[in-house]
Amino acid sequence: MVRAQISMVMVLDKCIGCHTCSVTCKNTWTNREGMEYAWWNDVETKPGIGYPKQWENQEIYGGGWVVKDNKLRLRIELKEYRMPKMDDYYTPFTYTYEELFTQEIVDQQPTAEPINMITEEPIDIQWGPNWEDDLAGLNETGSLDPNWNGVDKEIYLRYKDVFMFYLPRICNHCLNAPCITACPRKSLYKREEDGIVLLDQERCRGYRYCVQACPYKKVYYNWKTGKSEKCIFCYPLIETGQPTVCTWSCVGKIRYIGVVLYDENRVEEIAKADVKDLVKLQREIILDPFNPDVVNQARKDGVPETFIKAAKESPVYYMFKKWEIALPIHPEFRTLPMVFYVPPLNPVITTLDEKGLLSASYSDILPKIDELRIPIKYLANLFAAGNEEEVKKSLRKLLAIREFFRLIEVEKLNRSEAGKVLIDNDLTLEDAELMYRWLALGRERWIIPTRKTELTLKIGERGGVRIKW
Amino acid sequence: MVKTPNIDKKIVIIFTIMLGLALVPTAIQIPMVTAQAPTVTSKYVNEDIPLDPNHAMWKELQLSEALLAGQQLVYPFSLDKGTRTLKFVSVHNGTHLAIYIEWDDETMDVEEPGKLDVFGDAVAVQFPVYQTELPNICMGTVDNPVNIVFWKAGVGVQNLVAGTGYGLSPEQREALGLHKVPTSPIERLPDQAQIWDAKGVYDNNKWKVVLIRPLGSIHELVPTFRPGESVSIVFAQWDGSKGERAGAKATGGWMTLKLEAAAIEGEAVVETVTEVPAEGIPLSTLIPVIVIGLGAVIGLVIAIALIFGERKKGS
Repeated sequence: MVRAQISMVMVLDKCIGCHTCSVTCKNTWTNREGMEYAWWNDVETKPGIGYPKQWENQEIYGGGWVVKDNKLRLRIELKEYRMPKMDDYYTPFTYTYEELFTQEIVDQQPTAEPINMITEEPIDIQWGPNWEDDLAGLNETGSLDPNWNGVDKEIYLRYKDVFMFYLPRICNHCLNAPCITACPRKSLYKREEDGIVLLDQERCRGYRYCVQACPYKKVYYNWKTGKSEKCIFCYPLIETGQPTVCTWSCVGKIRYIGVVLYDENRVEEIAKADVKDLVKLQREIILDPFNPDVVNQARKDGVPETFIKAAKESPVYYMFKKWEIALPIHPEFRTLPMVFYVPPLNPVITTLDEKGLLSASYSDILPKIDELRIPIKYLANLFAAGNEEEVKKSLRKLLAIREFFRLIEVEKLNRSEAGKVLIDNDLTLEDAELMYRWLALGRERWIIPTRKTELTLKIGERGGVRIKW
Repeated sequence: MVKTPNIDKKIVIIFTIMLGLALVPTAIQIPMVTAQAPTVTSKYVNEDIPLDPNHAMWKELQLSEALLAGQQLVYPFSLDKGTRTLKFVSVHNGTHLAIYIEWDDETMDVEEPGKLDVFGDAVAVQFPVYQTELPNICMGTVDNPVNIVFWKAGVGVQNLVAGTGYGLSPEQREALGLHKVPTSPIERLPDQAQIWDAKGVYDNNKWKVVLIRPLGSIHELVPTFRPGESVSIVFAQWDGSKGERAGAKATGGWMTLKLEAAAIEGEAVVETVTEVPAEGIPLSTLIPVIVIGLGAVIGLVIAIALIFGERKKGS
C-alpha cells in the first residue's frame, strides 16, 4: 500500500535561533487560555535538556515504543510513568506592561513586574521554554542531556563553548505514532491523504495518554478545555499549497517541505527492527517516485497525480532518501518520525594563527570529518540511535559540496576537475547544483500539492468506510 | 356492563407450554442470569433532599457497600490489582432521587487551572436506558445502551450515554441532541438532559459525593425512575493519584435499586424540572394561537363594519 506523507526537513547549520517560528506559531495557534505554556513549535539549544525538561529521557516520561517478546509495545503499557507537570515545561508568565503607563512619575524608570499568566500573581521566574538559550545554565543542566552517552562529556562541559547548535522542534507526524495507539478514545488519527497527525477535539476527553506516549512531548494538555492539542502541520495552509507558519516565517530559510511516498505495509516491521538499522530501514520504506512500479501502485492506491508529481520534486525525498544527508530525530523511539534534520557541521572554522586571526593552510580551511568540534557520537545519539556511520555519511557530503564550490570559486578549477570531490562522496554534478539551489540559495523550499476536490480520492474514513469526495 | 373478552383456547395452550419451558431450567437449576443482583432500597423521605454530603440527614442513614475491582478487560487497564469498597445510600422524595456515595482515598486529587499532571478523583453510576434486559456491564451495546452519571473532582457532574452511538441514524441522533456522527463510544447528552446536580466533599481521607436528579426524564436516553419500581445500577470509581482515568478504574457488579413507594398514594409526582430548550415554538402550539388570533381579527373587522354600517344607515 503506497501512501503519501507531507514531511519536513530542517537544516540545522542554517538555524540562527531567533525563535520567529515559535512566536508566529504561538500567535497563530496557541495564543489562548489553557495553552499559555504550550509551544507546538519550540527551539532548543543543544547540548541541553530542552522543553519540557529532559523530554528525551524516557526513563522519566515513558514515551515511545519498546520491543518486548518480538512485539511492539507502548512503554506506558508496561510501567507507570509520571506525567509532565507545568514546571517541567515552565510556568507561563507575562509582565504588567500597563503599569509602565500608569505609574506615578518618579526619578526611576517605570518597571513592569512579571506575573503568572494562570494565577495573575507575581512570579519569581525560574524557567522558560528557551531557558537554555545559547547554552545558558549549561553548568547546571548540561550533564542531564542523554545524548552524551558514549562521549567524554566532562571535557565538553568544562569548555562549554566548544560547540552548540539550535534544535527547532515540531510534532514529527510519525508513521508509527504512539499517540494514536495510546488514545483509548481514538481521538488521534493520521490523515490518509497526507499523513498529518491530528487530534479530534470532539472525541478527546483529556485522558492524556497521548501526552505520555509521545516521546517528543509534542502533545499538550489544555487545562482550560480539558482536552489535548498538538501541532496540526498548519493543514489549512498546506491544503491550499502554502507552507506552514513556522516555515513561512523562518528567517534562516532552514525548513523544507515536500511529499514522500512510502510503503505503509512495512511500518510495523521497520519499527521493530534492530536499533542500528533503524535509519537505514526508514530510508527503505520511503519509495522512489521515479520508479514506474511505485507510481503505478500509488495510483492504484488512490494517491492523486498532484502528490506523485510533488514527490518527484520533493526536497525531503532528495535530502533524506537520495542524498542521505537528513536524519530522523531519536529513531530509537521507534516512531518513524517524518520531520528530518540535516545535522550541523558547526562551527566550520579553521585554526588561529600566531596573530590570533582565523587562518590556515588550504588543506585546513575545511575540517576533516574527524576534526569537527562537534562530537559525532553526540549527533549520532540524537539523530541515528547511536549509529555514527549515518552521521558521518551526511556530514561528509555536506563538506564535499562546500569543497566543490570552493574549488571552483576560489581555486578556479573547472567543474569536471572539481567534480572529483563529488564523485568520491557518491554525488553528481546535478546533485551539487540542486543542493546549492536548495541549501545555499534557499529556492523552492516547499513543493506542496494542493488538494483538488474534483479528483476522486479513495480516502478511508476512520473506521474503514470508503467514501468518495 | 364490561364485556369479558373471548380468550382463544389456542393461546391458553401456548401460554401453558411456554410457562412450562421456562420452569424447566429453574427446576433443574440451570442459571438463567449470570449474577444475582443484590437489591438495595431507595428509601422514601418526605422532605427536601440536601445536596450537601455533610448534612445531618446522610449521617443518619445506613450505608450499603459495593465491592469494586480494577478493570482488567480492555486497555487502558487499572494498575491496581486489589479491591475497593464504596459505601452508598439512596433516597427519594417522590420528585427527586439522590445517591450518596463515600469512599476512602488518602489523596485529594482535584483538577485545577494549570494542573497538567492531576487526574481528578471520580465516581460514576451506570443505569440501563431500557429496563427490559440488563445491558453489557462494560458501558452497554448498540442495541442496549446505558446512561451514566459521572462526577469528577474539580470538574463537576455530567450526564452521559454509552453504547448507543452507532445504533442510531444521523437523523435520530440529531433529534436526540447528539452529534450527527458519533464522536465516541461514550457521549455527553445534550444540555436539556443534564439533569443531575452534584456536590463532593473531601475530609478525613474520605470523599463524600451526593448526586441528585428529578425522577422524571424528558430525554429518550435517560431513564425515568418511578417510586415502587426498581432500577439496575453499577458503580465505577477512579483514584486520580494512581493515574486512573478512562478505562483505568475500579468497577463493580450490577445491583438493583428499588425505589420505595411514596408514603401517601398519589404523592409522587414524576415530572422533570428541566426546561424544554427554546428552539422555536412548535407548530402544534402555534396553530391554536393563529386560529384564535385570526378569529379575533375577523370578529373585530366584522364588528367595526357593522357599527359603521349602522351609523351610515342612521345618518
